[in-house]
Amino acid sequence: MTQDPAEPPRSAYDGPPPPPPPSPPSLEEELAAAKAGPEPTPSIETVNESLRDGLNRCPKCGSTDVQLRASTGQLVCLFCRHEWQEERVEEDFGLGHGIEELEGTVIASGAADIRADVSDVVTFKCGGCGAEVSVDTSSAMNARCHWCRHTLNVNEQIPNGAVPDAVLPFKLTKDEAIARIRDFAGKRRLFALGRFKQEFVPDNVLGVYLPYLVIDAHAESEYRGVGEVQTRRWTEKQGDNNVTYYAADVYQVERQVKYTVDDLTMEGSADRANIAKENTNNIINTILPFDTKNAVRWNASYLVGFNSEKRDLNVAELKPKLEDQLLSIGRSQVSGSLRKFDRGVRWEQESIAVGGSRWVAMYLPVWLYSYQQQSNGLLHYIAVNARTGETMGSVPVSHPKLLLASITVGTVLEGIAAALLVASA
Amino acid sequence: MIDLAQTLPQVLAQLAPVLVPFAAEDSPVWLLLAGPLGGGATYWLIYRYYRNTDKSHEFERDTLISAKPVQGGETRVDHISRTRDKDIDGDNSSRHRQRVRRIH
Repeated sequence: MTQDPAEPPRSAYDGPPPPPPPSPPSLEEELAAAKAGPEPTPSIETVNESLRDGLNRCPKCGSTDVQLRASTGQLVCLFCRHEWQEERVEEDFGLGHGIEELEGTVIASGAADIRADVSDVVTFKCGGCGAEVSVDTSSAMNARCHWCRHTLNVNEQIPNGAVPDAVLPFKLTKDEAIARIRDFAGKRRLFALGRFKQEFVPDNVLGVYLPYLVIDAHAESEYRGVGEVQTRRWTEKQGDNNVTYYAADVYQVERQVKYTVDDLTMEGSADRANIAKENTNNIINTILPFDTKNAVRWNASYLVGFNSEKRDLNVAELKPKLEDQLLSIGRSQVSGSLRKFDRGVRWEQESIAVGGSRWVAMYLPVWLYSYQQQSNGLLHYIAVNARTGETMGSVPVSHPKLLLASITVGTVLEGIAAALLVASA
Repeated sequence: MIDLAQTLPQVLAQLAPVLVPFAAEDSPVWLLLAGPLGGGATYWLIYRYYRNTDKSHEFERDTLISAKPVQGGETRVDHISRTRDKDIDGDNSSRHRQRVRRIH
């Protein structure tokens, strides 16, 4: 005998009566819900599960004495010299494509909001001897067990913003960076502050991993303004002088453009993102971009021997900056369509619609030489992009020397002008 | 070391647009401005070469950007029949980072 499985036996009591349908939300509730919008949650999980216990073992011999070999960009085991590297995040998480299909804000787990209530100090139980080892994630990502010398790494993402999704390893060696910094400052010796020249020690350069957010996005922007086209130009004699006049047609101009951006890079540290006259952070900003396509999955062993700075800006705080940069990018894209307006265009209104964005947190490598000018407290940087070698810096200037040079040039030019006047008299 | 022989033509190039209007008046007195203007331009150029205060990442050019063809149009709304201005007031078509009023 067979029983129809589609008809389960029914009992006499089917549970409590169903609750009454919920009353529709009031207009105020609906408006409040719409205003709040959905909270962005991490959509790409980038945790490196294989390193969760804090021990990053050499895959060949099991030693934890691992660090980056800058010349090859690979991790090297200091015990057996085996070299290897983590997978590139570009392929691993599919970051290189699908930008046009992005919807809303897609955040990788390493770029999730920083939680102020989470301590910077992470404690590990050493897998070698069982001792407890603490790592202060505000300044370091690894520590040695003081008993058995195992190196313990913060590889698991903790919600304090210390662990990014990916890291771009150093490529330029310290010696190469020193040479570039020496060369940069050497070209600027003549008018440099005397004290800077005395105290200049490029060997003090520091390798620092700085936190950045790398963004893919697609957007559409629109611009409205006024443009003028010259229709006539003529010269009239007014007394002894000739005066040029112009006639022009005035146009109302509108432009729209859709575009995608791949790997737009922004500072993730509020200190570095603050580009103001009181600091020389623009120098560090200038050495962008990095070859972020070569970034690899997070592994704190890449940071051994280098300093690092913690991210303290969340995605929400950087969204206005993203919109600004996208508007600038759109403006540069439409500028080619304005050739007709030979008297120029004055943009007066603009709008941006970001269709979707994807945010990934990365540590990017910089060689940084810093010098604090005592007279005004200004911190001057000479920064070297540790991937491309691009170097930019700020060298303190001796204003008396600069004044002397300017007066000399001014006097020579004035002398020539006076001689010409005398000759023409 | 900064080469003044290289800097001087740059200084004169900076001065040229300032001096042209004076030259148009056919009075050689304008030549006397060369000293103060040349001195000021020298100061500014060397300072900028050392401090690089004007530099920043050119994300408009250095980011991978893929744009669809630009759309839009223009409507003639007025005619200026006689002006001494050789260009439009407030031309910001090449100042991509200068924000204007946001709509929507």
